Amino acid sequence: MASKTRPAERITTSALTTNNLGTVRKLNSVLFPIKYSEKFYKDILSPDVEEFCRLTYLNDIPVGTICCRVEEVDGVSKLYLATMGVLAPYRSRSIGSKSLQHVLDAARAHTKPRISSIYLHVQVSNLAARRFYERHGFQECGTAKDYYKKIEPRDAWVLEVKLHPTGESGESEARPPA
Amino acid sequence: MPPKKPLASKEQHLFRELLSLYEARQLKKGLKTADQILKKAPDSGETMCMKGLILTHMGRREEGIDLVKKGIRLDLTSHICWHVFGLIQKAEKNYEEALKSYTQALRFDKENISLLQDAATLQTHLRNYEALQDTRELILKLRPNHRRHWILLALAYHLNGNPSDARKVLESYQKMLKARDIPDYDVEHSNVLLYQVRVIEDCGDFASALALLDGSAKSRGIVDRTAIMEYRARLLTKQGDTAEAEQAWRLLIEKNSDCLHYFRELFRIKNLPLDAVSGENREQAVALLLELSSQYPRSSVPARLLLDVSEGPEFEERVRVYVLDRLRRGIPSLFVDLKSLYANPSKPHVIENVTTQFRTEVESSLRSSSSPEGGESPTTLVWTLYFLAQHYSFLRRYEEAIETIDFAIEDTPTLPELYACKARILKRAGDLVGAVREIEEARCLDGQDRFLNTKSAKYHLRAGLREEAISLLGLFTKKDAASPSADLEDMQSTLYLLEDASCLYRLSQLGPSLKRYLVVQSIYDDMSSDQYDFHSYSTVRQRFTLEAYTSLLKWEDGLRAQPPFVDTALGIARILIAVHDDPALATSSTPSKRSDADKKAEKKAKKAALKVLDEVKKGTQNSSSNEDKGLEPPTAKDDDPTGVKALTASDGLEQAWKYIKPLVSEPLSLNRTDVLACAYDLSIRRRKYVLAAKSLLSAHQNDPENPETHLRVVDFKLKVSSLSPPPSETIQSLVNQTLLKVLPDEIALETLNSQYLQRHSDDPRAILAVADASTRIGTPLQEVEDTVFGILNPNVKNDVKSSLAACEFLNRIKSPRKDEFRSECDKHFPLSTMFKTAEELAGYKSQNGSAGGNEDEKEVVNA
Repeated sequence: MASKTRPAERITTSALTTNNLGTVRKLNSVLFPIKYSEKFYKDILSPDVEEFCRLTYLNDIPVGTICCRVEEVDGVSKLYLATMGVLAPYRSRSIGSKSLQHVLDAARAHTKPRISSIYLHVQVSNLAARRFYERHGFQECGTAKDYYKKIEPRDAWVLEVKLHPTGESGESEARPPA
Repeated sequence: MPPKKPLASKEQHLFRELLSLYEARQLKKGLKTADQILKKAPDSGETMCMKGLILTHMGRREEGIDLVKKGIRLDLTSHICWHVFGLIQKAEKNYEEALKSYTQALRFDKENISLLQDAATLQTHLRNYEALQDTRELILKLRPNHRRHWILLALAYHLNGNPSDARKVLESYQKMLKARDIPDYDVEHSNVLLYQVRVIEDCGDFASALALLDGSAKSRGIVDRTAIMEYRARLLTKQGDTAEAEQAWRLLIEKNSDCLHYFRELFRIKNLPLDAVSGENREQAVALLLELSSQYPRSSVPARLLLDVSEGPEFEERVRVYVLDRLRRGIPSLFVDLKSLYANPSKPHVIENVTTQFRTEVESSLRSSSSPEGGESPTTLVWTLYFLAQHYSFLRRYEEAIETIDFAIEDTPTLPELYACKARILKRAGDLVGAVREIEEARCLDGQDRFLNTKSAKYHLRAGLREEAISLLGLFTKKDAASPSADLEDMQSTLYLLEDASCLYRLSQLGPSLKRYLVVQSIYDDMSSDQYDFHSYSTVRQRFTLEAYTSLLKWEDGLRAQPPFVDTALGIARILIAVHDDPALATSSTPSKRSDADKKAEKKAKKAALKVLDEVKKGTQNSSSNEDKGLEPPTAKDDDPTGVKALTASDGLEQAWKYIKPLVSEPLSLNRTDVLACAYDLSIRRRKYVLAAKSLLSAHQNDPENPETHLRVVDFKLKVSSLSPPPSETIQSLVNQTLLKVLPDEIALETLNSQYLQRHSDDPRAILAVADASTRIGTPLQEVEDTVFGILNPNVKNDVKSSLAACEFLNRIKSPRKDEFRSECDKHFPLSTMFKTAEELAGYKSQNGSAGGNEDEKEVVNA
């Protein structure tokens, strides 16, 4: 009967609003050993980062979050991936990959401003995380000494992915539809 | 009285002008004209009434109504005067008096169509169908060319329980119609035909009803295809044409396989009533359901019905398939869906086994394979735990319920349902503070969920946190309302008003609590008068939707039997009885200091009132303006905002009786023991011994073993055996007859009481009733206390509510052991917070307060 076929898992993402911010707070409090400032929660609601700050759902249950901010240095805009996490029972089901892929796609298609790359910090003890990001094209570009103030080890790798590898034009990704 | 003088011809002319000016709402000019007539004929009652009516429209209400009354006295035989009076009474929603005025008016102008129409509406509203029938007959005689008058006469006959006359009228109507009068696919005509079928059906002539239905379906006279099929199936069933009826219901299932009603009817016609299957019936029912469920695999109905009729290993297998499928699909309402199965003593156990076994399987599947292919999804585990927690909670196994739901929350802390579930478990176990904490967790996860918001407000009220509840509700109420609670009053939220009323009652604020209940009563009055507009709307403007209209009338007839209304009446009576028994309550229970929120709301209300006053002032400054303010009276200012007046009124019991009386008399005559007991309590205090005896007798017939009944039997015997002054002989004999019926043998009350206790030794409410009865008999306090303490014996099926009532009882009889009992209860119900002292509770609350901000302990780092 119907029970023989298990329903397929559905992974979806949604934008953040003041109303689901409580869910983001709950996820952060469970996932990270850090309490984020009120400014952090204010910034992730900005319409500019709507595509880069998401909640991720498995079968309509919120199980993961990803939050980035846009940084501008010398006229070049980069995306900094501040938080990304999935609840423990829901890992290894491509939920993190899908939310990261959503951000990568959105960043490549972004035009105002054009985003050159995405970078992030990984604690040097967290090899699994490093491998995860490397599978999505990130490469180590340095180490931040004493990046963490209150957890050990205190150093962090800086990982980065260039979004427009063909050079300055970036046409292949950002070409307008014919 | 001086004989009526007719107006001179010039004034007659002016009067006709006055009438047409009023019709056109040319109020200013009308007023001038009236004054002009009155100058010449100061005794013209009709003119005076018209002037009064115009003044009322202009907002000068008191002056206007005085004038109308004066006018009637001057001209008691004028239909105009009575009509005007009727209009004003109707606008005041005083329908009975309005109908009297219309009847007077009709005495002097028998064939006035507009009077007759209004009278018919009032007669329908007041359910005076006898008179309605006469009115409609007269209207049709006067206007036989209007199609609607025929149909309305048929409706009047039908409502008056006279379908055969209704049928005749409709048949003559159809004969009179010419084919060219009806356009193709005319919905109005279709509705009338369907109504005609219904009327013939109500005559019991199913064959003719079917013939008309089939004929009209073929000729496309009836255009509603679903209605045709449903009528057909129903008529064939009533006719007893089993084979054809089965076919008809099967066709309907084919059309909509999610309609439970169709399935039920199909089984009824096959003589397999789904509510009472047994023996060989069961096999047949199962076979048919299996057939239907393979025919309609996407419908839940046959699968769910199979669970009702299956038993033993078959039930286990089917419930496994049903539950597992839905847990995997993540259906949150699964437990609610299955709850009715728990009435069967063996099924809960099977459901538990199936689900716990599945839980183990899912857990091991999740442990062994980390890949999504093939294995179970982690969401399945969450929904399984959620289901199990509800299962345990329903069976009052609160510890297991909490352990299970905590496990789910640990696993998936982002699902609001889990916290809402935990909140409900804690609420049931008596931990109101913890319930608030958990439901707030849920609400914070999804700020736009109004369900969670309402639940949270409700739990706050249960915990006595009124201000917090109000500010939560304010997140969803209109921003420009005087206060959130004023908006909820406007929106007729009986849920909120009833919760707030009982919250205020628990806080011993009897006056404000009473006010809340009175608001709910007025909401029901509004609902009842709201139907007034439908009498003409449904029958004339809305294409003769007579089926919907007659079911609306039926619904309105049962309006005051609805639980919120009954609870309100009981709440009012409870308060007024308490104040009658102990008048000191009235003064001690008015709020001494008002909360900030109340003050704020009051300020805002004052501002709003001032604004209205300003507008009124502006209005009166140019009162000659033409603006029509309508006939309805403006809402009166509340001159008793805290309910003190209502609470201390000398006729409190009479007021309370006003609300209970309609519940226990025709046509409602509710058979609810709590209502009858309340009617008894009021009557005995009002020294209405016949009424008291009647209520007691009904309660006794309804449920003789009910604790409420038992207590009243004892009370009645005690009260009536020493009446002073002695009642009349007739009353005394009626009282004696009642006693004989409720106390058949001459038995001592002590013996009656102890026998009752023996019969119900495991029922906490019965034990409490026995204790209460004992104090009335005069049993020493010590013995009464021992009885109450019996509630805590292990064999008693005790619950938090009953123990709380026992605490209140010990308080009332000023027992020195009340604190001892309370602390025993606290041990007896470890999860509950309801038996803690104020200090203990304050400690617990502050503990919860710091736990609420659970992120504080973590270090702050800038990300």
